[in-house]
Amino acid sequence: MTKNIKKLIVFAAIVVVGIALFFWLGAPKKSIEVGKGQISDIKTMAQLCTVDLYNEVPVLDTINNKVLFAVQKQRGSVSFDLENMQVNTDGDTVKIVLSPEIVEINEATEDNSWQVIDSKNMSLNGFNPLASDKLTDEEENQIKAKIKVNSKKILYHNGTIERARTEGVKNLQTLMAKVYRKPVIVTDPTPRGAHYDEYK
Amino acid sequence: MRQSKILLVLTSMLALVSCSKNDNTELYQEIKSVDKMVFATMAITKTAKMESSGWYTVGKRIAVYSYDSYMRAYIDLSALQMDDLVFDEKNKTVKVTLPPVVTEITGRDMEMRKEYENIGMLRQDLDSKERAEIKEQANKSFKEEVEDNPMFKEQLTEAAKRKARKYFEAIFEANGYIPSIDFKS
Repeated sequence: MTKNIKKLIVFAAIVVVGIALFFWLGAPKKSIEVGKGQISDIKTMAQLCTVDLYNEVPVLDTINNKVLFAVQKQRGSVSFDLENMQVNTDGDTVKIVLSPEIVEINEATEDNSWQVIDSKNMSLNGFNPLASDKLTDEEENQIKAKIKVNSKKILYHNGTIERARTEGVKNLQTLMAKVYRKPVIVTDPTPRGAHYDEYK
Repeated sequence: MRQSKILLVLTSMLALVSCSKNDNTELYQEIKSVDKMVFATMAITKTAKMESSGWYTVGKRIAVYSYDSYMRAYIDLSALQMDDLVFDEKNKTVKVTLPPVVTEITGRDMEMRKEYENIGMLRQDLDSKERAEIKEQANKSFKEEVEDNPMFKEQLTEAAKRKARKYFEAIFEANGYIPSIDFKS
């Protein structure tokens, strides 16, 4: 009797080890090869950057009945084009009109800046076992395009753009006073942002 | 504190996943006032290939994706002092010594471009987590490359210096001065 139990335990152990080995050796090996970075573009400009920002946002969105939940780290800035600014140097005072803001938001390059937590298919309220929960790259890119718009919207509504423009007026005044050695007046025609209405 | 906040929000967001509502409330936000004059930006393309195979798999599973990362070169205007601009009224010249040009990484594309894909009939499509993994690897390699290969920073700095000279020369010449622009090291 005891002999049989011993045999059974040895057999079960062999089966368990066999299954573990099957999954360990049998799992498809994944390899990622990364090519060298190629410079694709160099642009020159003269822009005054007054705000740098860093965000961590949760992303919960649905596309074609598929839900994606992720966390994204973002880096961004608010700048002003100095080359297309109205500058009037006639007279004793230099008059400058602040140009529209340039708002840039990118994914950050810190580790795990795009962290996918989960995705699920909501067709038949999630009770369709045949429906794929995998988002295609196009679907994912569409969600990311929406994230960018939403993040910009937040910047217009939480006063970040207004703050950047105020700083823009101040910094431009200081710089140009050094350059022109005359009193400088910088006016801002759109303190809440030149694109405020687009992001209402 | 920040971690517990993130965990709390993540937990509540996960509970709401089935509600499938679009939400972008920040978990963390840092807004910094700066006084930078940006003269050049650079886009660097990274391409990565993922392949998975096992002894029992039938058909290929290969995907190639690319995306751009960005760098910029700027001078810190808050470091520009009054005595960095020396005017000579007699000879109508001005000697300008600008703060040093600094480079930094400003982020990467959110979207990825699919360059190539070969997924066999019996193999699974790539999912979002796998694409994120590809991007993560490419990003690590990008950051190492920028650190190890000075070529990126040098090219960007040179382009920024040329542009800065051009910009300030145009302003001073318009005011009747012959400028000489230099940079602090």
